[in-house]
Amino acid sequence: MLVEAGHFALALALGLSLIQFIVPLWGTRANDPVLMSVAPTTALAVLACIAFAFVALTVAYVTSDFSVLNVVENSHSTKPLIYKISGVWGNHEGSMLLWVLILSFFGGIVAIARDSIPARLQANTLAIQAAITLAFLAFILTTSNPFDRVVPAPADGQDLNPLLQDLGLAIHPPLLYVGYVGFSISFAFACAALIDGRIDAVWARIVRPWTLTAWAFLTLGIAMGSYWAYYELGWGGWWFWDPVENASLMPWLAGTALVHSTVVMEKRDSLKVWTILLAILTFSLSLLGTFLVRSGVLTSVHSFAVDPERGTFILGILVVFIGGSLALFAWRAPRLQQGGVFAPISREGALVLNNLFLATACATVFIGTLYPLALEVMTGEKISVGEPFFNLTFVPLIVPLLLLLPFGQTLAWKRGNLLGAAQRLYAALGLSLLLTIVVFAFTHDGPVAAPLGIGLGTFLILGSLNEIVTRSWTKGGDWAVMRRKAFGLPRSAWGSAIAHAGVGLTVIGIAATAWDVETLGTLRSGERLGVGPYEARLERIVPRREANFREDVATLTILRGGQELGTVDTMKRLYVTRGMPTTEAGIMTRGLSQIYVSLGEIQPDGSLGMRLYYKPLVLLIWLGAVVMAAGGALSLTDRRMRIAAPAKSRRLPANPLPAE
Amino acid sequence: MTTQTPRTRRLTRKQRRLTLIAAAGCVLGVALGLVLYAMNDTILFFNSPADVQARNVQPGTRFRLGGLVKEGSVKRSDGQQVVFEVMDAQSAIPVRYQGLLPDLFREGQGIVAEGVLEASGVFRADSVLAKHDENYMPREVADALRRQGHWQGEEKASQQAEQ
Amino acid sequence: MMIWIILLAMTAAAVMAVLWPLSRHGAISRQVDPNTQFYREQVAEIDRDRDRGALLPAEAEAAKAEAGRRLLRASHAADTMLDAVGEPALRRRRAASTLALSVIPILALAVYGGLGSPHILERLGRVPVTGQEARTDIGSAVAQIEAHLATNPQDGRGWEVIAPVYLRMGRMDDAVKAYEAALRHLGPDAARLANYGEALVIARDGLVSKNAQTAFEKAVELDPSSAKARLYLARAAEQDGRIGKAREDYAAILTASPTDAPWVPLVREQLARLDGQQAAVASPLDNEAIAGMVASLASRLESQGGSVDEWARLVRSYAVLGQRDKASAAALKARQALAKDADGLKAIDTMTRELQLTNATP
Repeated sequence: MLVEAGHFALALALGLSLIQFIVPLWGTRANDPVLMSVAPTTALAVLACIAFAFVALTVAYVTSDFSVLNVVENSHSTKPLIYKISGVWGNHEGSMLLWVLILSFFGGIVAIARDSIPARLQANTLAIQAAITLAFLAFILTTSNPFDRVVPAPADGQDLNPLLQDLGLAIHPPLLYVGYVGFSISFAFACAALIDGRIDAVWARIVRPWTLTAWAFLTLGIAMGSYWAYYELGWGGWWFWDPVENASLMPWLAGTALVHSTVVMEKRDSLKVWTILLAILTFSLSLLGTFLVRSGVLTSVHSFAVDPERGTFILGILVVFIGGSLALFAWRAPRLQQGGVFAPISREGALVLNNLFLATACATVFIGTLYPLALEVMTGEKISVGEPFFNLTFVPLIVPLLLLLPFGQTLAWKRGNLLGAAQRLYAALGLSLLLTIVVFAFTHDGPVAAPLGIGLGTFLILGSLNEIVTRSWTKGGDWAVMRRKAFGLPRSAWGSAIAHAGVGLTVIGIAATAWDVETLGTLRSGERLGVGPYEARLERIVPRREANFREDVATLTILRGGQELGTVDTMKRLYVTRGMPTTEAGIMTRGLSQIYVSLGEIQPDGSLGMRLYYKPLVLLIWLGAVVMAAGGALSLTDRRMRIAAPAKSRRLPANPLPAE
Repeated sequence: MTTQTPRTRRLTRKQRRLTLIAAAGCVLGVALGLVLYAMNDTILFFNSPADVQARNVQPGTRFRLGGLVKEGSVKRSDGQQVVFEVMDAQSAIPVRYQGLLPDLFREGQGIVAEGVLEASGVFRADSVLAKHDENYMPREVADALRRQGHWQGEEKASQQAEQ
Repeated sequence: MMIWIILLAMTAAAVMAVLWPLSRHGAISRQVDPNTQFYREQVAEIDRDRDRGALLPAEAEAAKAEAGRRLLRASHAADTMLDAVGEPALRRRRAASTLALSVIPILALAVYGGLGSPHILERLGRVPVTGQEARTDIGSAVAQIEAHLATNPQDGRGWEVIAPVYLRMGRMDDAVKAYEAALRHLGPDAARLANYGEALVIARDGLVSKNAQTAFEKAVELDPSSAKARLYLARAAEQDGRIGKAREDYAAILTASPTDAPWVPLVREQLARLDGQQAAVASPLDNEAIAGMVASLASRLESQGGSVDEWARLVRSYAVLGQRDKASAAALKARQALAKDADGLKAIDTMTRELQLTNATP
């Protein structure tokens, strides 16, 4: 009953989206506030319907209702509850449902925020939003229906892909989707502005929180996915330049550029047309990512041709929305009021440079990801574009950007002084260089990249710190005054400083991977294998049986200088229902570094193949991303982001610390 | 904009625009150069054992070799040294590899190995991939085999949620 | 029928979400224009920055002047006429209402009608799930229950009803799964657990597997008097080679049961068989094949080592074969081989105690 009602709710949402698409657009054409006011209530109704459908599917999973095909294919009665729930989006159909749920959720928030968004902008935005929802609901209902039934119901399910039975992966897709889909709001706002032919600083200010939210979630999502690959795939790698990863990196790069360009727009009322284009491109890349991952082209171009239904449908959505929005852009953008052109040496000039580098870097990733697909479709030739390609193209574009970042942060708006900025950065620059030299001196026979990268990362962190310090600097060095001044800085200033420091942390983490040590060996009980400054001693290997898998658990003691530090377990699992083996790496964290143990094959003579890694400072890679997202979140809470909150504090001189 | 301080050199609108365009041109030019250079240098071709013969791949070339692990060909020796043969419908090539093999490496399983063909005709692999999904053939392998009519695997691979 | 009423109500609610705003003609409140609001706040913020000393007064004045100019521009733009009253507006509203009233239900019902499976629920109404129609042949009854369970897989009673039928039909695996489903939905209960264990045993051709044993143990835990569970546990002990324990268990069941209980003859039979068997086992000649297997297991364990279970099997096998000194020796070797494994040691110790291998503990 619930399942059928959920199915029907999806169909209802389809009809509602159509209304939400047509009526508000009509309203803004005819300038009729009543028609425009249909948009918010309908958006909320769509949200209610999709949320209901999602709950219905979740209930089917939790109660193991095996009359639903989707549950049979992806769940099993013995699975722990948490994976029954995460199984809802651990498959194609359910993940698409989650996708539209988040889409309609964002639409609902736009609908509620009616007092802060001009009515026309809101109506147009929700109409565009409805068009996206409409397209994806049609996709789900016709090609990927999660509510398909099987009669008679099998007694038990086929279990979720074991690789997906992992806490990290349970929360990875929702994070990523909030990121992807959040950019749809920026996109809808951009299209709305084009339709109305009006764009200004107000628009930028309304859009910025959305972009920032989407960006922060996407940052976390990518970091989560990377960490998952790191510990689950058992190779110790954290980024593979895999098309699926690139599909999320491209919107991130474009979104990062968008976050920065909206700042210019808000502050200086310029860079408008570019920002609109960037908003369109960012969401287009999100759609492209969805297409790449969901259509099966990555699995095989061939299988895409064999089972074209889904792929073609998403490709259609892709063409309609990207083509449509770009056409709208070409048609309306010339009518937009141009902003001013500004001095090259200034904060806004630096941000333009930032956009230039990020957009170009994004383009190289785009080429590296799509060129092999295009080549295969056209010539049938198969090539692989991997890490070497991106090291040669992406890295040389990002490194100068990072080097220039602290300078840009230090430059003033409107008129900057490069020499002045450099002077203010003397300390940071000097300290970073000193650190580079010291590190190099200690590890002079090691790789050169590591000290250089660490120097760069330190420069980024110190540069961000420097920004806060100089902005709160007081002559005479009164600590109390300085502290008050520092905390009086807008939260967006703190947010950007923290986010940029996060970039520095990640850079240090990546640079330190040059010091990774890897050892291979075969071990019997009691034997030892060294890796870097550590040693591992195999204690025992014991078979174990759990609800839905059985495994061989190897226990190793990690030693340093003969002293025992503790034990780690590494497992080789066989998921019984699917007959699928996986390796669970054993990881011991020492500060920010990790010792990573991965179990290989059990040799016929009873010894174990073992792969050991020592990964210094590796945690910084993901920690940096978390710090970046935290910076974004802090920036979000900035007072100036909340638009038209009843002007409570306007001109209240009694308030001693105005910028809380 | 309207407010200008005397300290900066006054650039006209046109000059400012030109600066911007020049900067964009430089960055894009460099990027283009890098991409073209990298395309020549870092891209690996995929070959099945039959392709290796047909295209007369020279020893010393780096490429990705894909096919099925021949039944009964896997021999292990000390130090995790493994020798096996990768085959397709027409021919087979011996592969030598040192290191841990992926979980799904089995005889009869489709794999992709990356490495160099030695003059002796042995392929020295430095990585071996067998994708982590039971009904997922590495796509190059699946396509190559299908071309040779060797594998009628289920098309379900395309529907597999791969996130 | 019920489902259609629910779907209808949902449709009505969805249409209302569109009609409601359309019906509030004059009630559209003029919101504060967010455009002008923004610039006013910007001006206010410039003032605050100046008061705090973040901006020089001259800079603040310049910035304010620019924000003021934008404010002026924005308030001009805000004065565009809103067209909310009059005949055309009314017509538009009617058209929009008609659109909503037609598009939403038609689209939703068409899509759902084409893709949904409301008939599943209708069939559910027609299938009575009782055991009363015993006269209908068993095949169609099973089909009916299966159809019912297809739509109501949470119905644990249904699973419990069908499980013994499966068992009788020889569909062992289905029976096991049905009992599993019943346990899942109705919760554990001594009789249910015992039945489940029995199904497992039958499915494994009489072998009391680890899973089955766990089920029986749980059943006994819930209800110590559960004869079925205790019988199978005794059989498990026998299969493990713990003949003494099995005999004790059977005897205990006998003493605990009323003399007219239906299983009493069975238990007696088992006891008698055990006594006879022990005599048979004692003679090594009958067990040449077994002895060979045990020997090969022993040599493999001694040369290559093995798991706790394998060592336990070896010790037990010697004990069953009556070679008690060999069993003791094997237990000693097991203790050495498993010296690092505390759990394993415990398991071996418990077993030596059960088998009364007095000289096996050092």
